[in-house]
Amino acid sequence: MARLRKKPGFLYITVMQIQLENLVPVPLRDKVLQRSSDIWNREITFTPGHFVKIKAPSGTGKTTLVHYLYHIRYDYTGKVLVDGKLWQSYNKEVIATMRQQQVSVIFQDLRIFEQLTAEENIELKRVMTPQPYCTSEKVKEMAARLNVTHILSQSGKTLSYGERQRIAIIRALVQPFKWLIMDEPFSHLDEENAKRAAELIGEECRARGAGFILTDLDHDTRFAYDSHYNL
Amino acid sequence: MMQSFFGLLRKIIQTGIGKTRLVMATLGLAIAMLLLLLAIQAHTDFDQLLHSQQNQNESADFLVINKKITNAMMGQPAKSEFSPEEIADIKKQSFTDAFGFITSNQFKVTAAAPGELHFYTDMFFESVPDAFIDVKNEDWKWNTGDNTIPIILPNDFLNLYNFGFALSQDLPQISQETVKALPMKITISKGLITQEFTGRIVGFSDRISSFLVPGNFMEWANQKFGNGEITAPSRVIIKTKDPSNPVLVQYLDDKGYTTNQDKIKYSKTKMIVQTIVSVIGFFGIVLLLFALLVFSMFIQLVIASCKREIQLLVTLGTAPRQLRRYLMRQFIPLYIVTGVVALLVLAGLQWWASGILATHDMFVAPMLSVFTFGAAILVVLLVYIVNLLNVRKYVAEIS
Repeated sequence: MARLRKKPGFLYITVMQIQLENLVPVPLRDKVLQRSSDIWNREITFTPGHFVKIKAPSGTGKTTLVHYLYHIRYDYTGKVLVDGKLWQSYNKEVIATMRQQQVSVIFQDLRIFEQLTAEENIELKRVMTPQPYCTSEKVKEMAARLNVTHILSQSGKTLSYGERQRIAIIRALVQPFKWLIMDEPFSHLDEENAKRAAELIGEECRARGAGFILTDLDHDTRFAYDSHYNL
Repeated sequence: MMQSFFGLLRKIIQTGIGKTRLVMATLGLAIAMLLLLLAIQAHTDFDQLLHSQQNQNESADFLVINKKITNAMMGQPAKSEFSPEEIADIKKQSFTDAFGFITSNQFKVTAAAPGELHFYTDMFFESVPDAFIDVKNEDWKWNTGDNTIPIILPNDFLNLYNFGFALSQDLPQISQETVKALPMKITISKGLITQEFTGRIVGFSDRISSFLVPGNFMEWANQKFGNGEITAPSRVIIKTKDPSNPVLVQYLDDKGYTTNQDKIKYSKTKMIVQTIVSVIGFFGIVLLLFALLVFSMFIQLVIASCKREIQLLVTLGTAPRQLRRYLMRQFIPLYIVTGVVALLVLAGLQWWASGILATHDMFVAPMLSVFTFGAAILVVLLVYIVNLLNVRKYVAEIS
C-alpha cells in the first residue's frame, strides 16, 4: 500500500477542478432540452473550495447529476472534466485513489452495508487508506455530535433511515477530500439533527479547505453558499 | 474494537458460499501435486539406483560395440567391419558422449615367457584411444625406438588362467604383481622381417576385453609391418552416460550390433519404470488442470455472489488492487499448506523407501531431491499465477 502514496497520480490531482461541458443525460434528453437549466447543456466550472448548492425539483435529474459527478454513471453526452481531463481518462486504480483522498460522497440512497454494524461501516471507510485520516476517537466525537453513539454497535440492517443518513455523513467525513458531493443529505433528519449535521459538515470542509456540491429539492440557508444553481 | 480493512472485507465478501468447491479444488491440488512430485521423485530415485557410484561399477559407462557374427557372415571378415557411414551414424546418436576405434594389428605377434617357463603363444594386439582406458599408469607410454612395450591385459584373462587353466593343469597361480614383474618376449613379424621387444604388463582392465598396446605403437607397427592398407575397424567403443537408455538398446538392436549384455540389462526395467512414472505424472497434470478449473469456478462464484457488495466497495473508493489482494490472501495459505503437506508426505515416503531399499543393498537418498522441491515451487507458482489472472479478470469485469 506504500506504493499508493508514491503514485504521481495522487500528487498532481490536488486541485480537483470540476468542469461540465454541455452535459446532457441521455435518458432525460428531451425533457432537459425543453426547459432552461443552469447545469444541463452549459459550460460550468466548480471552483475548488466553494460551497455549491444545486436546487433541483423532483425529476430534473438531481441524483443522475450526482452520479455523473462521482463517475458511477456514464449515460450522458457532453463532458465531465476533472482537472481538465475527462473522467473516463482516469484508470480504475487512480479513480479509487481519488475516492479515498480527493472526493467524498453522501448518496441519497445512503448505501450502508447491512452485514456490518454502524461503526464498522464508518471504520471500513476510515481504514481503507493505509494511514487513516482521522482517529477512531474523532469518529466517536462526530457520532456524539450527531446523536448516534448509542446505535454504533447496531447492525446496519436494523438502522432507521435517519440513523443511516447520519452514519453515511460520518462515513463521508472520515477521509480527506477536496470536494464533498451530497445528494439530499438531510432528507431523513429532523430540524435539530439537520442543523447539527450541517454544522459538522461545514466545519470539516473548512478544516480541509474543501468545497462541496449539495443538491436538494428546496431553498435552504444551512450553509453560507458561494454559488447557487437551479437544475 | 478496531478492525483491519481486510477484516471488514471478510464480513462483506463471504467466501463461505463456495466452500465445497474450495475444498474440492484444494484436495485436487494436493493430490495432483502429490502425483506430480511422486513421478519426479521416482524418476530421480531410479536414476540414482542405476547411476550412483554406490550402486554400480562406473565402467558401465563404456560400451564396446561390434556386429553380431552370424553363420552367414562366417569367413567374410569384411562383413563385420563398420563402414564410415555406420561410424558417422553412431557418432551422431544422442547417447554417444565419446567414440573411439579399436585398432587391430596387421602383423603377426608371438609372445614367449622368459627363462624356464617354456611358454610360447601366438597372440594379437589392439589399441584404443587413451581416454577409454581404465588403467591409469605412468608406464603406459611408448616412444619410437623404445624396445619395451607396455601392455594391458583383461582382468578376465588372468582369472581364466588362475582359476580355470592353472588349477586343472597343475600350474602355479600367478598374482597380478608377478605378472607385472615378468618381462615377456614379444616378437612381431611380417614375412621374413621380424623385430623383438620386451613386453611389460602395466595393468589389468575390466572395461575392455583385449590385449591393449599404446596407440602410437600400433600405428608405427602397422605401418612398418602391416600390408599398408587401412582396414576398417570391426569393434568400436563409445562412452555413454546411461547404458540402460532404451534408445541406445533399441539402436543396437535395429542395427544388429551387440555389446556386453550385462551392461544394458536394466534397459527393460527402466522402460517399464519410465512408463509408470510418465503415467503417474500425466494423471498429476490432468488433475492439476482440473484443480485449476475448480479454483477458477470458485473465484467466479464468490465474486458473482458478492457483486453488489463489491461494486459498493469500489464506489466507496476500494481499489481493484485491494480487492485482488484480499481475494488472493484467501488462497495463498492454501497453496502453501498444500505444498508443504505434499512435500512432507513425500519426504516420509522417500525416507521409508530408502530404508527398505537399503536392506536390499540399494541406495537412494533418504531426502527428497532438489528437483522435487523445485517442482513443488513451480506448481505453487503456476496455481498462484492462474488464480491471480482469474481474480484480475473477474474483479475488472464488475468494478
